Amino acid sequence: MATLAIGASAQAPTVKIGWFGPATGDSALWGQAELNTVKLMAEQYNAKGGITVGGKKYLVEIVGYDDKGDSVEAVNVAKRLISQDKVVAIVGAQGSGEAIPVATIVNGAKVPLVASTATNPKVTVQDSGAVNQFMFRACFTDPYQGKTAAYYAFQKLGKRKAGIVMTIDDPYSTGLSDFFKQNFEKAGGKVVVEVSYTSGEKDFRAPLTKLKAANPDLVFIPAYYNDVALIAKQARELGIKQILLGGDGWPSENLISLAGKSLEGCMFINHLDMDGAQSKPIRDAYKAKYNKNAELNSYMVHDALWMVVDAMQRAKSIDPIAIQKALTTCDIQGVTGHIKIGPQHDPVGKDAWIIQIVGPKMKFKEKFAAKD
Amino acid sequence: MDQFLQQLVNGLSIGSVYALMAVGYSLVYSIMNFSNFAHGSVIMLGAYFGFFSLTLLGVPFSVAFFVAALGAAVIAVLLERLAYKPLRDRRAPFLYFIITAMGASIFIDNSVIATIGPTPKTFPSDLLPGFFQGDPFEFGALTIGRVDIAMFVVAAICLALLVFFIDFTKLGKAIQATAYNIKAAALMGINPNFIIILVFAIGGGLAGAAGILYGMKYQVFPQMSAITLKSFIAAVFGGLGSLSGALLGSLLLALIETFISGYLSTQYRDLFAFGILIAMLVVRPSGIMGKNIEDKA
Repeated sequence: MATLAIGASAQAPTVKIGWFGPATGDSALWGQAELNTVKLMAEQYNAKGGITVGGKKYLVEIVGYDDKGDSVEAVNVAKRLISQDKVVAIVGAQGSGEAIPVATIVNGAKVPLVASTATNPKVTVQDSGAVNQFMFRACFTDPYQGKTAAYYAFQKLGKRKAGIVMTIDDPYSTGLSDFFKQNFEKAGGKVVVEVSYTSGEKDFRAPLTKLKAANPDLVFIPAYYNDVALIAKQARELGIKQILLGGDGWPSENLISLAGKSLEGCMFINHLDMDGAQSKPIRDAYKAKYNKNAELNSYMVHDALWMVVDAMQRAKSIDPIAIQKALTTCDIQGVTGHIKIGPQHDPVGKDAWIIQIVGPKMKFKEKFAAKD
Repeated sequence: MDQFLQQLVNGLSIGSVYALMAVGYSLVYSIMNFSNFAHGSVIMLGAYFGFFSLTLLGVPFSVAFFVAALGAAVIAVLLERLAYKPLRDRRAPFLYFIITAMGASIFIDNSVIATIGPTPKTFPSDLLPGFFQGDPFEFGALTIGRVDIAMFVVAAICLALLVFFIDFTKLGKAIQATAYNIKAAALMGINPNFIIILVFAIGGGLAGAAGILYGMKYQVFPQMSAITLKSFIAAVFGGLGSLSGALLGSLLLALIETFISGYLSTQYRDLFAFGILIAMLVVRPSGIMGKNIEDKA
């Protein structure tokens, strides 16, 4: 990316924005999608002569580092971005496990970070309840996701008795189950049965038989797509005909081919409609440049970087503290929905996108924001 | 009551898969006195053979089933020739066999990850015979999956054939004699090398059958071999080296697992299942049906 800056330094000064995430390892697919997207966006900004901040043009330079999906590495690269590269803001930090330890670093150095997909509440709010002043995120949180699923099931689908199938050794799954249960019961429904399994399990018939006996009218499955596919198949085989509802662990190109017809009509909560009109510009530009399909993370990091650029423009400054201040009043229409940053530095009332499985396709059904 | 019967069916269906896999462990153990931990990888390759002959070559299911069994048998024999025979020739200690088996297993699994990829694959239902395409059979509130019936039937047929072969044919007697005392059997004119190849081929063939059925029931993926560890435990439970023990151990382990996760909680399943296993081994170190109390693991 250095070449970009050098080539243009004659006309305009450069503003450096940092990125880190897993460019290698298990989550490399999503990390690379993010880095590709922010680089693409920087090119697009610079092709127009840069971004205008306070009447002055700045070229955007992305400094990207691989954190290997490792929390220690994430802390190291965040320090390097701040002290060595002197970036004015950081985007990325897609995993909550990496974003949480980095919070102390950015708070100390007073450089704002906008996380793309770190959904754990602790990313922006500490255990003590204090807000991490320099941490923000573009995605909704797990409590919000659980609440959305619960309210959608209760209000829109009219379900009153829910069953839950969760991965007992995965905090994402148990957390989401808890948030679903709390809110579903708060809304007036009842969780009549909760069953669980351990990661790596392939036969779910014993817990599913138990679930069937309790006869829920909806089954919430906060799990990842591969488990979801097997659970759906085995549930249908056992004669569980109820609608299955899930979260953002479901979307994958492989979900439907693995599940066959067993997920027909089922729904899940996603961060956006990946086939929709609002995501088309990025989808097409990404495909044209990299000859690959954009991932969910591409859209999420797009909005994270957009939040930073918007904050710079409103602050009329590229000073990290001014950017942080502007981020607290962020109110933009991103490709993943309306992002209005609330007091806990999360998007408040962000639309969740309900996606329904229809035949071989995942179709956008409706937007839904949980309201009390 | 409905739930009880359904859990019983679930347990028996899981048990029949364990049994098909456990027999391979037991057969090899009875002759060679070591646990062939690469057996799980042979099962996994069998599943891939079946999957690819069905999807890529487009052969009928019966042929794919045969290819899976034959392919896995060939792999098992190759494994014996390439990995274990050199050790046997050098009269290496049994520990070396176990380490070699684990190494072979890691090698095979990772070769599959590197070439085919780690993503799980599902048998496309439209390529399976009509029998598998319909809805599960329903008896009141009880449902029985079609693949489950097939697994139960195939497991029963294969194991019956195997018992017949071992007990009533000359070759079977030769296997028994070799299992009893390999040196004495050799003195009686039995070629131990041939018997060992035969045992690996039989174990491999059953592994292939188990692999393709497992793949149809669940998915085909490189880490399948880790899951087959349960069937090894079932074989130990029933008494390593004993065929009826492998069968009994498999059914018992699967039923215990199913009832614990059905009536208590999945969290306690392994705790209880393995607690019972340990208790069992303390009381009867050779397993339920095992005769040999000498430690050979």
